[in-house]
Amino acid sequence: MAWIKLDPITRRRFARFRKIKRGYYALLILLAAMVLSIFAPFLAESRALMVSYQGKWYFPTFSYVSMAAFQQTPPPGWQAVDLETDYFRLQREWRLERTLYERARAQTGSDAAALDAKYPNRGNYVVMPVIPWDPYQSDFWYNEILNDVGVLLKADDRIGAANLARRDHLDELADAIESGAIDDMLKDPTRSASGTLSGLAQGGTMPSLKDLTKTAPNPPDSHRAHYLGTDTQGRDVASRLLYGFRISIFFSLFLVIAGQVIGTFIGSLQGYFGGVFDIISQRAIEIIVSIPFLYVVIILAALIVPNFWMLLTIMALFQWIGITFYMRTEMYREKTKEYCLAAKSYGASHMRIIFRHLLPNCLTPLVTFTPFLVVGAIFSLTALDYLGYGLPAPTPSWGEMIDQALDAQNRTKLWLTFAPFTAITVTLLVVTFIGESVREAFDPKQYAKYE
Amino acid sequence: MSNTSKTPLLRVEGLKKYYPVRGGVFAAKVGDVRAVDDVSFTVAPGETLGLVGESGCGKSTLGRTIMRLEEPTAGHVYFEGNDIATANKSALFQLRREIQAVFQDPYSSLNPRMTIGEIVREPLVVHKVGSKAEQIEAVRALLETVGLTGEMLDRYPHEFSGGQRQRIGVARALALGPKLVIADEPVSALDVSVRSQILNLMVRLQRERNLAYIFISHDLSVVEHISDSIAIMYLGRIVEIGPAAEVFAKPAHPYTRVLMAAIPVADPDQRRTTEPLKGEPPSPVAPPPGCPFHPRCAYAIDACRAAVPPLEPVKAGAPNLELGREHLAACIRKHEI
Repeated sequence: MAWIKLDPITRRRFARFRKIKRGYYALLILLAAMVLSIFAPFLAESRALMVSYQGKWYFPTFSYVSMAAFQQTPPPGWQAVDLETDYFRLQREWRLERTLYERARAQTGSDAAALDAKYPNRGNYVVMPVIPWDPYQSDFWYNEILNDVGVLLKADDRIGAANLARRDHLDELADAIESGAIDDMLKDPTRSASGTLSGLAQGGTMPSLKDLTKTAPNPPDSHRAHYLGTDTQGRDVASRLLYGFRISIFFSLFLVIAGQVIGTFIGSLQGYFGGVFDIISQRAIEIIVSIPFLYVVIILAALIVPNFWMLLTIMALFQWIGITFYMRTEMYREKTKEYCLAAKSYGASHMRIIFRHLLPNCLTPLVTFTPFLVVGAIFSLTALDYLGYGLPAPTPSWGEMIDQALDAQNRTKLWLTFAPFTAITVTLLVVTFIGESVREAFDPKQYAKYE
Repeated sequence: MSNTSKTPLLRVEGLKKYYPVRGGVFAAKVGDVRAVDDVSFTVAPGETLGLVGESGCGKSTLGRTIMRLEEPTAGHVYFEGNDIATANKSALFQLRREIQAVFQDPYSSLNPRMTIGEIVREPLVVHKVGSKAEQIEAVRALLETVGLTGEMLDRYPHEFSGGQRQRIGVARALALGPKLVIADEPVSALDVSVRSQILNLMVRLQRERNLAYIFISHDLSVVEHISDSIAIMYLGRIVEIGPAAEVFAKPAHPYTRVLMAAIPVADPDQRRTTEPLKGEPPSPVAPPPGCPFHPRCAYAIDACRAAVPPLEPVKAGAPNLELGREHLAACIRKHEI
């Protein structure tokens, strides 16, 4: 830390904090998670990280690219509409084309030039983020794939239907279409009661189609890259968890920082000036404290739909009070010291005395309380979201995820419960570890003995 | 030594500092603590006034009220003709350059979060004296003046001994080039071995820079060596004031005598001739009627309880209006005892 000039007391406290392994590693983990969450669009996003198309590289993470740019075929029935590229599908289409090309090349007597023309996309690549879903996107594949394959079958595009099934790893179905066995299956009422593909799936005689009969929420599924399953609206839980973390932690940090800055300022003035100002402002604070915070937020949320910054402002109006009491007493103690008198004697202004001379000596409660206030802020945002008075839907939020998980219909969908609860527990635990270690490192008793 | 031709640098007139005592229903004012009660004296340029008294007699409050770190209840403090007690904010800010303070506790008087350089430079920053480079150069020179080295700029107070810290305190007081330094018990927190070093430093600086000192102490033996004049305080009032040599040679007030007698003498065979002082000083909230010292005074008579005795010349003759030039005492029996 040589590039920052720290006074020896702070340096010693920082060294002590580093010695407390539990807190130090918890801080590293939290910082790493925060940095990762800042780069969330590169971790969980439905747009590709990189696309290599006809030898050129594209980076569409932050831009809209229509399907026409990569000559992607729109899903059946959507030909007339300008759609954004479905990169997750594009990746599978090109991968399939590569597989088919290699299979054809392996056959004896294949015509290289003809194959090159038939499979123009075999050299194109899509690199998706680890979680190829954004937090707002519903995955309707389960409901749509059999319908789409059925549309192509009805149009007698058997190769197209088989390729569509194979693209999405429904190999059993693709084989049945290619061999023509599918026609007999659909005609057999013991296999498909309604004579359709969804009837075939419901009949249960083709086990690989069984998942497709389910509706959201769906359990973890590696084929569709839903590593933690989907929620009641088919949105990816892992993606929502990550974006929910980003919102929770930054909301809490902003909230606590805003509250601490306001509270420190007011508490310092109270302690420094004392007297009538102190008495009157203390009474004013008592009035504010007696306003029930939750009711205010609920009433305001009923009148306006709060966005991120509005909710932050409302909550900050109640967040700053706690620290004023500590800063006030710290200032009362510190201002009687002779260095404060010395500063007055050469005419330093009140603000200069408070913020340049006294405040650096009053930071202990500020630093030791902050991590615990962050814990509290994360929890209160989650609680508000759970009650439905927090950030508006469809903002990814842990509170809303818990709300879904605790819904009576979803009692058996354990992935819905597991993800947000684990995330909240781990986050609060990590921040609490940091808070405990900071408190220990700032313990004044440590310096009472000679070193 | 005292030179009557000099005009006074500082003239204090009838200075009072009362603290209200509140109690009862709705914190009504029930009385006053008379910390400083009707104090007048003068200090000439380049001279030292020793201010002596027991703990709680108001000598520190007097020092702070002169600097207007405490708002005076009444009275005037003229510094080169300008009244500090009634000066407005900007005039007071300019006057602060002229009067600086050295404090008692070398541990709490230096901010532990600031380097020595920052501490000594701070007055220059507040008064916007010179550029940053010039300020740092000035700080380096100041540190060398008080017997430290310029390399110590970036070190923190905890790395220094009590004596060194007090030198830093002196350097800070000198930063703005004041004409008067109010030293509030600057050596009482120091080891005896270090005391004389700091006192010698202060005397040397006084000669070099023509500084005037108000040297507050509870220890007569310290004050004796460096003072031109001495004022003895008791319960917020000055009971005796005069040139140091005269006050020490012929103390006129019974309280001064008792204080003098309490100075230890390095001779085990010498017996005490004066009874040591008995009892505690009375409460400044309810001072005794008449002379505040009479309950503890061996010479008290009924007349002492009647009225507060005025400060009057000890020697008969034409009274010199220059306070501090002449030996004055507030005792009605000063000629008898």
